Amino acid sequence: MKAYFARHIQVFLATLGDLIRHPGASFLTIAMIGVTLALPAGLYVGLLNLKQLSHSWDRGGALSVYLHRGASGQAAVAAMRRLPGVQSVRYISPRQGLREFEQQSGFGRTLTALHENPLPGVVVIRTPSSPQALTALVAALRTEAGVAHVQSNLAWLERLDAALALGHRLVMILGALLGFALILILGNTTRVAVVNRATEIDVIRLVGGTDAFIRRPFLYTGALLGGLGGVCALILLELSLLLLHDPVHNLAHLYASKYSLTGIGGGDALKLVVIGTILGWIGARWAVGRQLRQSVQ
Amino acid sequence: MIELNHIFKRYPGGNEALSDVSFAVDKGELVFLTGHSGAGKSTLLKLISLMERPTRGQILVNGHNLGRLSPRRVPYFRREIGVVFQDNKLLNDRTVFDNVALPLVVAGITGDEVRKRVQAALDKVGLLARARGYPLTLSGGEQQRVGIARAITHRPVLLIADEPTGNLDAAMSDEIIDLFKDFNDHGVTVLIATHETRHIERLQKRVIALGRGHMVAST
Repeated sequence: MKAYFARHIQVFLATLGDLIRHPGASFLTIAMIGVTLALPAGLYVGLLNLKQLSHSWDRGGALSVYLHRGASGQAAVAAMRRLPGVQSVRYISPRQGLREFEQQSGFGRTLTALHENPLPGVVVIRTPSSPQALTALVAALRTEAGVAHVQSNLAWLERLDAALALGHRLVMILGALLGFALILILGNTTRVAVVNRATEIDVIRLVGGTDAFIRRPFLYTGALLGGLGGVCALILLELSLLLLHDPVHNLAHLYASKYSLTGIGGGDALKLVVIGTILGWIGARWAVGRQLRQSVQ
Repeated sequence: MIELNHIFKRYPGGNEALSDVSFAVDKGELVFLTGHSGAGKSTLLKLISLMERPTRGQILVNGHNLGRLSPRRVPYFRREIGVVFQDNKLLNDRTVFDNVALPLVVAGITGDEVRKRVQAALDKVGLLARARGYPLTLSGGEQQRVGIARAITHRPVLLIADEPTGNLDAAMSDEIIDLFKDFNDHGVTVLIATHETRHIERLQKRVIALGRGHMVAST
């Protein structure tokens, strides 16, 4: 058992040595794998950021209840306070609404040209986040006296969630496709390596080397190239995030938000390298197995 | 050690390389396999070392029925025999030491044991001083001796050589044959294919002669 591990370590070190001695060709392969892995990983990180952004919003959020013209704001507020699931209630009178609109819309004084205030009274209700409670509350509010319209942000949050789920699925499909591409890249690299070493393989067979012995260095090379490709993908990803940092910061600043991009986490980074290693091993195993069967004596 | 029973070997295209060949070699024997080129000597050695399989007939080597040996067992069978090739089949990007060590490395032997055995084998063929060199820096005779060292380093019970003196001058080829004689004196069974009758006359050993794929004579 000890000898077995010693042999594996020996082959691993020899493979590493080979890689360091011939960096040119290996570098191209590693870069190719890096780009292949960086694409789905980058989309994944983008999606994570979007998700985080949507979570930072008030999920339960605010319900806006528009009252009929002439309905009593005071009465409506008092009635709504008694409904279950209501956290807080704020009444915006038509006059208050017009003032806020003047300040924020930029129409300013042109609004004074209107003969009368066109805005209804609005009650803004804050409520805890459960979607079921929100739906029930919306239904209850609609039956209240003086309520003209209930505006909930539930629908578009649901749409955003659905869109994110779709994005997630797309990333998975793209990841699977590019993972397959990675297997093909390493399969081809390995095939060329096996062909180049055909004489050596023949001699090893003639002196009693098993197929497992012949395969071993190729498998280590494949796994190592795949893992290093994963590391390369991480570097590409971090570089991209670094380039995006300032523009995102500026944009967030304009929206008066403290939002900033999150990079790939330690766990996900490790996953990426492990996935690269495993896919590299699979690609090499597939190619070397095929090649050895073809040249069987 | 070796037993062939009614061996036929036909290659695709109808070329019959061997036809009804039968003979036996006892443990500890040294036997010459002789005949003109194209007589089937190389084919016969390939069948005995399991590089090829016969079309018909049975071969027993060191207690194994080669026809019943599964592909998975072939590497382990090859570790019981040593083969010397006419073109020596050395790996030119590895040192002499690494070439000779190969049969040990593939068998999972490591460390000091490898060093000791390789040095012993190289000492035997008189090339210990060239261990760190590369095959292409050696003369033809020296390369052939590296090939022989590689064939004996794992202490095989049977040594097979295909025209081991093919490209060498007389003095050099006598040395090579004397090496085989020496291994045989130490108990290794040896089968040498050669078309040079000079060695056969010099050593006075058993001869199996082939002609156009048939057994011509067996002394």
